[in-house]
Amino acid sequence: MNLSVQDGGLAPYIILIAFGFLPSEIWRWLSFFVARGINEGSELFIFARTVSSVLLVGVVGKLIFSPVGALATTPLAARLGALAVGFAFFALFRRSVLAAILGGEAAIIAAGWWFG
Amino acid sequence: MSESETVAETNLAPTERRALFLEGARQALTGPAYFVAVALVGVGGLAKAAGFPPAAAFLSTLLIWAGPAQVLFFGSIAAKTALSAVAVSITLSSIRLMPMVLSILPMLRAPGVGRRQLFLATHFIAVTVWAESLRRLPDIERAKRLPFFFGFAVACIVTSAVFTQAGYYLTAALPKPLAVGVLFLTPVYFLSTLVRSARLPVDWLALVFGFALAPITQAWVGGGFDLLALGLIGGTGAYVCGRFFTARRAERTP
Repeated sequence: MNLSVQDGGLAPYIILIAFGFLPSEIWRWLSFFVARGINEGSELFIFARTVSSVLLVGVVGKLIFSPVGALATTPLAARLGALAVGFAFFALFRRSVLAAILGGEAAIIAAGWWFG
Repeated sequence: MSESETVAETNLAPTERRALFLEGARQALTGPAYFVAVALVGVGGLAKAAGFPPAAAFLSTLLIWAGPAQVLFFGSIAAKTALSAVAVSITLSSIRLMPMVLSILPMLRAPGVGRRQLFLATHFIAVTVWAESLRRLPDIERAKRLPFFFGFAVACIVTSAVFTQAGYYLTAALPKPLAVGVLFLTPVYFLSTLVRSARLPVDWLALVFGFALAPITQAWVGGGFDLLALGLIGGTGAYVCGRFFTARRAERTP
C-alpha cells in the first residue's frame, strides 16, 4: 500500500480513519464486550480504575519530567514548582480544580517568560 | 415488582432527558470542556505540520478523541514514520482507554438503558470525560446518568474539535510563555482532578505510584512500551497496597 498524505483528495482522510481512528477505537469496542460482566463496586472495577489512574498520572509525569516543545525550555525545578503552586491554591481555595489551574498556570507562564 | 415496572419507573420523560443533557453540557462548559479543548490546540498545529488538509484537524478530534493518540498520529506522520508503525504505536497508546471504559460503563448501566446507547457512550470516553465522570456520576441518580453523560461529553468533544481547528491556523502565532502555559494545562488539570476525585486509599496510591514510576519506566523500558509497563506494574502495586491498607483498617475497627 502506497498511501501518502501528499496524494491529496481522499487519501488524508483514509489514512486518518485506517491508521488513526481504527487502531484507537478498537479498544473502546473491545471494552464494551468485556464490561458486560463488571459491576460498579466490584474488585475488577476498582482495579480497572486504579490502572487507568496510574496510566494518566504516568502520562502527566512524562510531560513534567521529559517535556516536549516550548515546555522543555523551562527547568525541571520550575515545572515541579508550578505544580506545587497549583496544589497550594487547590488546598487554599476549598479543593477547587479551577484555582489549582489558575495558580499553576500563572506560575509556569511567569517561568516561561523568565527563562525565555 | 416486575421487571417491566422497574423499567417504566426509571424511564425518563423526553423533556427530563433533554434537561439532563443540557445540564451536563452546562457543567462541561463551566470548565472541563475548555481545559481539554485548549490542550488539543497543539494537535491542530501538528496536523498542519504533517501536511493534512484543515478538515482533518477537526475530524481527528471527533473520530479519535484521545489526545495522546492524535499527537502520535500527526507527530509521527510529520516525522515521516511508516504508516504501519504509526498504527502500532497508536494501538499501544490507546490500550489505556480500556480500563477507562471498563470503569465508566458500569456506572452508566441502568434499567431501560439499551446496549446501543451504551455502545455509543464508549466512543466519548477519553481521559477528561473519564476523570470528570468518576467525580460527578456517583452523585447523580442512576437512571439520570446517561443523558447527563452525553450532554457533558458532546459539549467537550465539540468544543475541543473547534479548538483543534483553531490550532491548525493559530499555534505558530502564540508567544512562547503562552505556548508553555498551553502545554502545562494537561498536567495541572489532570492531577488536580484526580486528587479531587480520590476517595479510597488505592486512589491516592495510584497517584503516588504513577508519578514516581514515570521517569523510571521511561528510562528502563523502551520501544513505546513504557506506559504499558507503568500501568500494569504501578496499577497492580497500588491495587495490592490499597487492599492491604483497607484490610488493616478493617482489623483495627472491628
